[in-house]
Amino acid sequence: MAGVVTAAPATATGPAAVPQGPGAGAVPWLLLMPATAALVLLFVLPIGYVLLLSFTDPQVSLAHYQRIFAVPLYTRILFNTFATSLTVTVICLLLAYPLAYVISRRNDWISLTLLICVAVCFWTGFIVRTYAWLVILGNKGPVAAVWQGLGFGAPPQLLFTSFASTLGMTHILLPYMVLALYSVMKKIDPNLLRAAASLGARPNAAFRAVFLPLSLPGVVNGSILVFTICLGFFVTPILLGTPKDMMISQLVNQQIEELLAWGFASAIAVVLLVATSIVLAIYNRFVGLDRLWG
Amino acid sequence: MTRTITRRKLIHGAGATAATLALAPSIIRAAGAQERTVYVNTWGGSWTAAEEAAYFKPFTAKTGIRVRTVAPVSFAKLKAQVQSGQYEWDVSGLGIVEFSQAMHEGLLEPIDHSIIDRTQYPPQNINQFGVASVVLSTVLVYRKDKFPNGGPQSWADFWDVKKFPGNRCLYDRSFTTLAFALLADGVPADKLYPLDLDRAFKKLNEIKPHIKVWWTQGAQSQQLIQDGEVDMIAMWNARAQELIDRGAPLEIVWNGAENYTSFRFVAKGTPRAKLAWEYLKFASQPQQEAAFCSILPYGPANPKAFDYISPEVAAKMPSRPDRVKVAYQPDAEWLAPRLGQIRERFAQWLAS
Repeated sequence: MAGVVTAAPATATGPAAVPQGPGAGAVPWLLLMPATAALVLLFVLPIGYVLLLSFTDPQVSLAHYQRIFAVPLYTRILFNTFATSLTVTVICLLLAYPLAYVISRRNDWISLTLLICVAVCFWTGFIVRTYAWLVILGNKGPVAAVWQGLGFGAPPQLLFTSFASTLGMTHILLPYMVLALYSVMKKIDPNLLRAAASLGARPNAAFRAVFLPLSLPGVVNGSILVFTICLGFFVTPILLGTPKDMMISQLVNQQIEELLAWGFASAIAVVLLVATSIVLAIYNRFVGLDRLWG
Repeated sequence: MTRTITRRKLIHGAGATAATLALAPSIIRAAGAQERTVYVNTWGGSWTAAEEAAYFKPFTAKTGIRVRTVAPVSFAKLKAQVQSGQYEWDVSGLGIVEFSQAMHEGLLEPIDHSIIDRTQYPPQNINQFGVASVVLSTVLVYRKDKFPNGGPQSWADFWDVKKFPGNRCLYDRSFTTLAFALLADGVPADKLYPLDLDRAFKKLNEIKPHIKVWWTQGAQSQQLIQDGEVDMIAMWNARAQELIDRGAPLEIVWNGAENYTSFRFVAKGTPRAKLAWEYLKFASQPQQEAAFCSILPYGPANPKAFDYISPEVAAKMPSRPDRVKVAYQPDAEWLAPRLGQIRERFAQWLAS
């Protein structure tokens, strides 16, 4: 979803950048108006309001920001949110890359079946998938049954651990990574690999020198997508994890719904936004955001 | 801007009502049909269905005022409505602690005494801003199949991991869990407040390694005890009753229960306040509360409602007089201004 939304303006500016000759300059700008207006109204203004609240609710001060960095709980939750997102992104990438490779390189029932599996997974609600893990990892679930069937005795506690929480989030986000990789890999011309082979490259070398570099935009695209969605995760860590796995959006929700502390909640949201922007800025410095969409 | 306007309206309204005290219902009836709708904030699902039968239908039949519902109940929405002056709903209900927080934040409309007659309610059931509706209890529940010879009978037993081994689960609501820890440590129920936080956290340290999971959602608590993921749990009585009615082998322990009273109120500044108080007055009648609680096993806050409830149905209710004696109520006045700090310390303790 997030990918589709952010991709839209990028493609919209494509045709607008083509010069249309003198006098035609106003048309592209007019065409841009609805999208720009929507972005300003629905995105820039609300974020501005959140920023304002973080400094002014209940009174004008920097107290909320001081509190975030003075209370160890909050810095730890912030750190944990980024560390968890990074872990999930790396695991997703390792699992998704071979899968996307097979789906994009083959053109038979195997690739079709795999693609349908990924799509069905993608379309199943994440609450449903989270509850499914509660059953699978539960003490009456199949994992515990197999463990006991093999005579290992009482099964170890799988549910309500950081492991379960990470597993659940990885499962939910894996389709995003697969689809991002697949869309790039599908466009790689198979003739390039044949050309490499004809010049004497073994399959491994051809993969490393030709396929891997060409698939990097997909890697970057998928990683950013998974990482940023993961930063906002909420229900899955609550249901599968421990209180130590608390993510930052849980904290925001608690402050808004239980304590009506909108100023503090806004400050947390602003810190998350700034931290995310810094990550993206570093990425832009070394890789370039324009490569994000292939 | 909006706030000054509504305040002016309010003063006008108060003057007018003083003059037309007895005529209020007829004036409402005379108002245009479009204005004769009241918007009620509700939880949805079986809760709304019970409200429909016990309150909405008979209210519309009696007064001609229509009821529209908005779900779910949201504390934050109340603040957003009052701040923006845009009202999606007029009447809602919150537990006594949130209700007190809302009072402190100035989000509630003062009771319109031209409509609500204070003397009709037990004194503890009414204040300046709202009327008590139902009582919801957080109780100790254990699995009978796990403890066939009798399970834990108190919070001290819940803490006794040698005598009652098994997986435990507590509610991730700071003040409830802190009070249970103090009860387990031997503090008498009538001496719980003000909470001795240091003592409570010290007692909680003892049980922490044995708590398999902390629940936050009602449905989650049901799933945990029903699937045998945990053997004993602190959960809402009506949620436990629902499982028992479905055949789950559970026992409810009423000793040391936290009785949490829900209050009905009107959002501050709503233009439909008159209709809202009419609705609130109707819904707070003992007969109506009895009808609602006979559908869902919550307890009526008004003891008079028990006159309309059969003993078999009353057996499921937390506010039955003999159960009130072994339960306690959180001191919302003490909690409301301190909740932010207590919540922070509790979250910190949980995550450490």
